[in-house]
Amino acid sequence: MEIDTLPISASMRGKLISTGYISLASLSSISPSQLAQDFRVRESEAVEILKVASVNGRVGNSDGFVAGAQTAWDMLREEEFASRITTSCKEFDHILGGGISCKEVTEIGGVPGIGKTQIGIQLAVNVQIPVDYGGLGGKAIYIDTEGSFMVERALQIAEACVEDLLGKGTAWKEFRASQPKLSAKNLLGDIFYFRVCSYTEQIALVNYLEKFISEHKEVKAVIVDSVTFHFRQDFQDMTLRTRLLGNMALKLMQLPKKFNLAVVLKNQVTTKYSDGSFRLTLALGDSWSHSCTNRVILYWESNERCAYIDKSPCHQSASALSAVTSKGIRSSTSNCSRIKLM
Amino acid sequence: MPLFTVSKPIPSLSYTMLNMCTCIVALAGPGDKSSKPVRSHQMQPQNLPLLSPQKCTLGCPILDRSLAGGIPCKSITEIVAESGSGKTQLCLQLLLTAQLPTPLGGLSASALYIHTEFPFPLRRLRQLANSFKSSYSNVFASSSFDPCGLIFVHAVHTADQLFDLLLKLDSVLENPPTESPVKLIVIDSIAALFRSEFENNSGDLKRRSSLFFKIAGKLKLQAERFGLAVVITNQVVDVVTSSEGINGLRIGNLENLYSSGRRVYPALGPSWAHCVNSRLFVSRDEEILADHVRSGEYVCRQTRRQLHVLFAPHLPVSSCSFMITRDGVVGVER
Repeated sequence: MEIDTLPISASMRGKLISTGYISLASLSSISPSQLAQDFRVRESEAVEILKVASVNGRVGNSDGFVAGAQTAWDMLREEEFASRITTSCKEFDHILGGGISCKEVTEIGGVPGIGKTQIGIQLAVNVQIPVDYGGLGGKAIYIDTEGSFMVERALQIAEACVEDLLGKGTAWKEFRASQPKLSAKNLLGDIFYFRVCSYTEQIALVNYLEKFISEHKEVKAVIVDSVTFHFRQDFQDMTLRTRLLGNMALKLMQLPKKFNLAVVLKNQVTTKYSDGSFRLTLALGDSWSHSCTNRVILYWESNERCAYIDKSPCHQSASALSAVTSKGIRSSTSNCSRIKLM
Repeated sequence: MPLFTVSKPIPSLSYTMLNMCTCIVALAGPGDKSSKPVRSHQMQPQNLPLLSPQKCTLGCPILDRSLAGGIPCKSITEIVAESGSGKTQLCLQLLLTAQLPTPLGGLSASALYIHTEFPFPLRRLRQLANSFKSSYSNVFASSSFDPCGLIFVHAVHTADQLFDLLLKLDSVLENPPTESPVKLIVIDSIAALFRSEFENNSGDLKRRSSLFFKIAGKLKLQAERFGLAVVITNQVVDVVTSSEGINGLRIGNLENLYSSGRRVYPALGPSWAHCVNSRLFVSRDEEILADHVRSGEYVCRQTRRQLHVLFAPHLPVSSCSFMITRDGVVGVER
């Protein structure tokens, strides 16, 4: 698509062509202020023009012949710069490829008491680590369906995070005083906490998320703990349950791509009878297992917590040990704290 | 084969109706308490720094320390133990400490005790109530105050009866009969409701587990809405399988649970474990005091009871010894 096919005013089109901007590629490297200066238009108008140009022809991609399409090369470059949220455990981050990805849906499942809620709270705090300290500086949405979120524990984890960032000891106290924004209370205040008590509330909230996030663009993580609880009751019509889950999954899958944030879903385990024995599998069935990009299973291995990548399009199956301490999720201190490739 | 009625499952909202409800709610203003599927105030995030977690003390500072203050509100705490370990004693104690004013760690509230097994231990409750009243004589102004007046007792025998009771409870929670609202619900024990009606095949187990989630869902909804603390007791079963690995059934901080020298596991399986927020385990062991052992004659035994935290979102792993005395449950410093 060229300039003359852009849906902008004829006078503006004329101005662009006469000055030499014939193809969209030429608009790719120009900034709005420069455009405004060149054409003596208001900066807001310049921004509009560039927006229209990018929407209509993927500015920077002269090969795009389908509107909205991207080349794989562009996607690769984008992925290199894709942000990740650290889990505060180096080994866990490593098997995830650096942390929880901000463009994908990650599912974390495990038996009760293994630490799913702890990881959720840790991620809700870690997403807020300021950009200056290597984090994303975003906010988090925490959807609590089970009532496991305890404010005092979140405060404890937030305080430990602040301490780790700012350091301890008297020498750092003045530094801390000069960083009033980075306090545990502020970290808590930037977690949008929703408590849902039934499956209808859960679906309504997921549907509402898009509107909420477009009003709160700083949100970089959506954590649902857990996505399963309200769906394990008896549904009169199981096909209804499958439809509801499928639609909820679709809505949740659209969020990362649209808003560039991470979606982390917690799942429970159930026993499945196969080959004459009971096996533990993640709940919600086989159709749900297609809904998440990445799947992590947490389990106990000789008194250690182990995280295992069950499904991932780009990381190989591997497991890592982690520990839950008073500060939150941290690396395990055991002697055989290695990453095992499966 | 015993006949049992399967409770009414959730009425199925047709799919388009559900979508419509969402749209209406998203646009709605301050909601009223009518039968809208979602209250619009739920679409507002809660202000976390203002949320103060309330806890109900157990009446003993040593036990409270293990639990970081006591039993939390808006949450379901499960106490797992074999018979005779002291779970009912802990529950009776909570029924009384819940009446304490908030500065002393109580909830200033009345309590509901739902029992499923043996007849209600009324005599023991009266004994505890008397010593409770004398320990806190400065708190309870009038001498005619009877702590038992704020304890409501109800018996249920099946899971359906329990669910029906919970449905009727909504009106009691909204309009409390006394000036102290109900803030503590104790169910003693949940296992008894499920162990006889369900066979050990996959169909019945699935039906049983959906009942778990239905009951737990209702309890959690009421706990959240009314700020209740819910305590549920559970029994144990003997176990021989391994608890290791990705298929292992280990749940919680302790690799194996031992009580009375046997390896045990909480009843009702991993599905029920998903329904509770915190799980505490009371173990009971007979200790033989070495210096009194004489061959062929009596041996002096002492019962050692310990309260372990198996999992809780706000508690580290911990164990605490306690004794059951005439005046109640008392923690023992190691």
